[in-house]
Amino acid sequence: MTDNDDYILQLENVSKFFGTVIALQDVTLRLRRGEVHCLLGDNGAGKSTLIKTLAGVHQPSRGRYLVEGKEEHFTSPREALDDGIATVYQDLALVPLMSVARNFFAGREPMRKLFGLIPVMDIDYAARVSEEKLADMGIHIRSPHQAVGTMSGGERQCLAIARAIHFGAKVLILDEPTAALGVKQSCNVLKLIHTARARGISVIFITHNVHHAYPIGDSFTLLNRGQSMGTFAKQDIAKEALLDMMAGGAEIQGLVAELEGRVAA
Amino acid sequence: MSSTSSPLLRTTSKDPITVQSGAMQSSALQNDERVRRISPWRSFISRPEFGSIAGTLLVFVLFGIFAGHSGMFNLDGVMNWAQVAAYLGIIAVGACLLMIAGEFDLSIGSMIGFAGMMMAVPSMFMGWPMWASVLFAFLGCMALGGLNGYLVMRTRLPSFIVTLAFMFILRGLTLVLSTYFSNSTIVSGVGDKVSSDPVMSTLFQGSTLHGLFVWLAHTGIIDKLPNGEPIVAGMPKVLLWWLLLALGAGFVLSRTRFGNWIFTVGGDSAAAQNVGVPVRRVKISLFVFTAFCACLFGVLQVADVGSAAADRGLQKEFEAIIAAVIGGALLTGGYGSVLGACFGALIFGVVQIGISYTSFDSDWYRVFLGAMLLLAVLFNHYVRLHATRSK
Amino acid sequence: MRTPWISILLVGMLTAVTATAATAASGPHANERYVLISHAADSDVWWNTVKNAIKQAADDFGVQVDYRNPPNGDLADMARLVEQAAARNYDGVAFDIADFDVLAKPAVRVTAKRIPLVTINSGTQQESQKLGAIMHVGQPEYEAGKAAGERAKAAGIASFACVNHNAANAAAFLRCKGFADALGVDARKSMIDTGVDPTVVENKVSAYLRNNPRTQAILALGPNSADPSLLALQRMGLAGKIYFVTFDLSSAIIDGIRKGTINFAIDQQPYLQGYIAIAALAIAHEDSTRDPAAIIAKLKTNAAFQSRLREYALKPVYTDEGVSSGPAFVTKDNVDTVAKYAGQYR
Repeated sequence: MTDNDDYILQLENVSKFFGTVIALQDVTLRLRRGEVHCLLGDNGAGKSTLIKTLAGVHQPSRGRYLVEGKEEHFTSPREALDDGIATVYQDLALVPLMSVARNFFAGREPMRKLFGLIPVMDIDYAARVSEEKLADMGIHIRSPHQAVGTMSGGERQCLAIARAIHFGAKVLILDEPTAALGVKQSCNVLKLIHTARARGISVIFITHNVHHAYPIGDSFTLLNRGQSMGTFAKQDIAKEALLDMMAGGAEIQGLVAELEGRVAA
Repeated sequence: MSSTSSPLLRTTSKDPITVQSGAMQSSALQNDERVRRISPWRSFISRPEFGSIAGTLLVFVLFGIFAGHSGMFNLDGVMNWAQVAAYLGIIAVGACLLMIAGEFDLSIGSMIGFAGMMMAVPSMFMGWPMWASVLFAFLGCMALGGLNGYLVMRTRLPSFIVTLAFMFILRGLTLVLSTYFSNSTIVSGVGDKVSSDPVMSTLFQGSTLHGLFVWLAHTGIIDKLPNGEPIVAGMPKVLLWWLLLALGAGFVLSRTRFGNWIFTVGGDSAAAQNVGVPVRRVKISLFVFTAFCACLFGVLQVADVGSAAADRGLQKEFEAIIAAVIGGALLTGGYGSVLGACFGALIFGVVQIGISYTSFDSDWYRVFLGAMLLLAVLFNHYVRLHATRSK
Repeated sequence: MRTPWISILLVGMLTAVTATAATAASGPHANERYVLISHAADSDVWWNTVKNAIKQAADDFGVQVDYRNPPNGDLADMARLVEQAAARNYDGVAFDIADFDVLAKPAVRVTAKRIPLVTINSGTQQESQKLGAIMHVGQPEYEAGKAAGERAKAAGIASFACVNHNAANAAAFLRCKGFADALGVDARKSMIDTGVDPTVVENKVSAYLRNNPRTQAILALGPNSADPSLLALQRMGLAGKIYFVTFDLSSAIIDGIRKGTINFAIDQQPYLQGYIAIAALAIAHEDSTRDPAAIIAKLKTNAAFQSRLREYALKPVYTDEGVSSGPAFVTKDNVDTVAKYAGQYR
């Protein structure tokens, strides 16, 4: 379990301070290859700071960040991206007015030379490849020139994930992908994560919804008020127990008892 | 846009998404009879330009009815309103690209006047050769455009406000320069100086293809003046510049990587930042381009009219924005087309000068102009809605 | 959808406006069409009189007429309108020479098509001839100033102050110079450059009069200089005591003439500029002539024209070269007729 070679990504005793505010304290997170690791925590637990640290937006104030056993110090998201760590944020970085093809290759446009001289964007390649790659993920679109705005939230999420995978992500960090989705669309996304795992991509799945996390996750880390409350493998813990820990189960029970006691009196 | 009708994605089984192996993928792609192919007509009318093309046809039909016999569609009438459209088209192209990137430049009109003055003052009062003055005007305006862009990006203020400030500053500077050097609001004689410079004259003044038009008059295809000259001496150069600019900008927007960046930046600049598009560089370049277009307008106008004046280009920035919007560009950015903006400029130009060909009292001019514009925009809007609705 | 209804409404409105806009001209000349193009922005009220004048001329001669102007006063747009007038094949074109250089090329388009051209208002006789116009109907600024100066001299005036609110304008300077030459004094020494801000005008006039207490007369070049100057005189208690002459008319000026604080106003009779321009073009077309003398002779005998002159108390100034619209002097004697039609026909 402590064999470093098994881990593609590690945060070892990472703390992050913003002035006097302690956003993260001594958090340890270890991601195995081909594993879906769920990061659970309620709002305000420090998840977004953790994501940004992983993505390279923030640098840890203390502790180590290791990628494939090597210590890394990312100074920009671009560097993390180049290392194969792709983050899909909640806003998805998709432009609704643009077509699927253009969105897919935004910032990484394929080029060709018109008449051998003028560098132009290779739209045909972009259209063909985006349609193919989405089909590989099991998503069929009517036309790669259709605007992303006409897709539903779940479909867009899948597009963002498929894009990250195509561009060579080894680690996929998904920030609350199912937060704004209905049940059916959430299932679509979960199936896509499963597909990604099948292809050998490691996933960090951040959510506050245990019902979504439990079916797909291999291991779980709980975050509360900037601190890790432990990491658990799926076989070692039940869904209810996770729910309890997340919702501050002991506190809720105490509250319920108090209320009932009051009412009775 | 929210998706109200059938979803974009279709799958080939009851489950929302099934994981299929690669071989099955491609055949599924080709043989899924439930995946509709879009007809060529439908994809044509979904383009952003279609509404403005239809609007242009509508305007021509209306003027055909109201002003058909007035000479508006004779060759010299056509050149008359085509020139107005060409001038507006030059700045509309710049404004369109900038609008797609999500910004506005309200200083275009003032920059037109200022460019004229930057060209006139050194050549008339400081003894500079004309080519140097024109170059000075272009470089100066583009530098100002860059400054505009830099300030907008640095301060994160709405471009509306920053460029509004420049609108006043440049208009004031134009007046100051004019009265300081020539004691009046107008600097005359610049046109003659341009004529005496062969390069500048060829580039910016008058018309071209004279020989062709003489031949056309000779063979009777076009009318002649009483003195035997063709009724129109040649193709006005402003039209050629407009064509050149529109083709270049349209190509860049739709076919190049930079064009994709423009759409991305305008559609969602945070997303653009996240995928690695150089947002700052894109926006500042576009401000520089708009300034170039404004300067070109100013220089062409001075060469044509012969003088520079402090009131040139008044309110032209709004006309440029209107032309871009008629052409299908969204005010909020991320969507639009250069071809559409050109048709928008054509509509505007035809309506603006065409009203004088009708028998309307000139007091009704503004009412008519507003009504025609509203009509063109509504038509455009209706057509786009109809076209992008899934059926 | 509501959208098509709005469109239909707009098209219907446009059609209705066109139908009503068609002028009800009938008779043998009903198909003739003329245009007058001015440089003035829509907001310039002075040209209202000219607009009304051309309509009346059109009625009298049984022709149709259009008035065109650049909405913002942009001369480049005005040049475009002159080109457009040529393309529209009007039977005659009239415009004011707001700027000779700007309008020279478009004017060529008009004359190259052998369309008769008349110029009015701004510009000199020489410029008008260079453009190939049949005649120029305006008020020669120097001569107007001089005629006014001679009237003042006859009343015993020997010194004056010229309140120039448009110092950059050549025409304004000529007005002052004419007046000065008639009196035999130096124009530059008598000039106050005030600009158009009324408070500034008032202050500068007061300051000048305080420094030059022996000034016997004030010459204002228009309402922009006359109205504030009157205020300055009132404040100094000099209203009615100092000889006051002004160009053009306004309600304050007419009031001043009535009260006696203004001795007379020099009216360039804009009505005549519009009327005679269209009348001349119509006559030129009818008689197929370009000779200004013949046209004016015909005009003088025209009954409708004469009755308009009587109605509005107008006096054209006939010269060797043609006809000028002014100067006409508005004094206490004829101010009532003028007041009645001020802003519309006077």
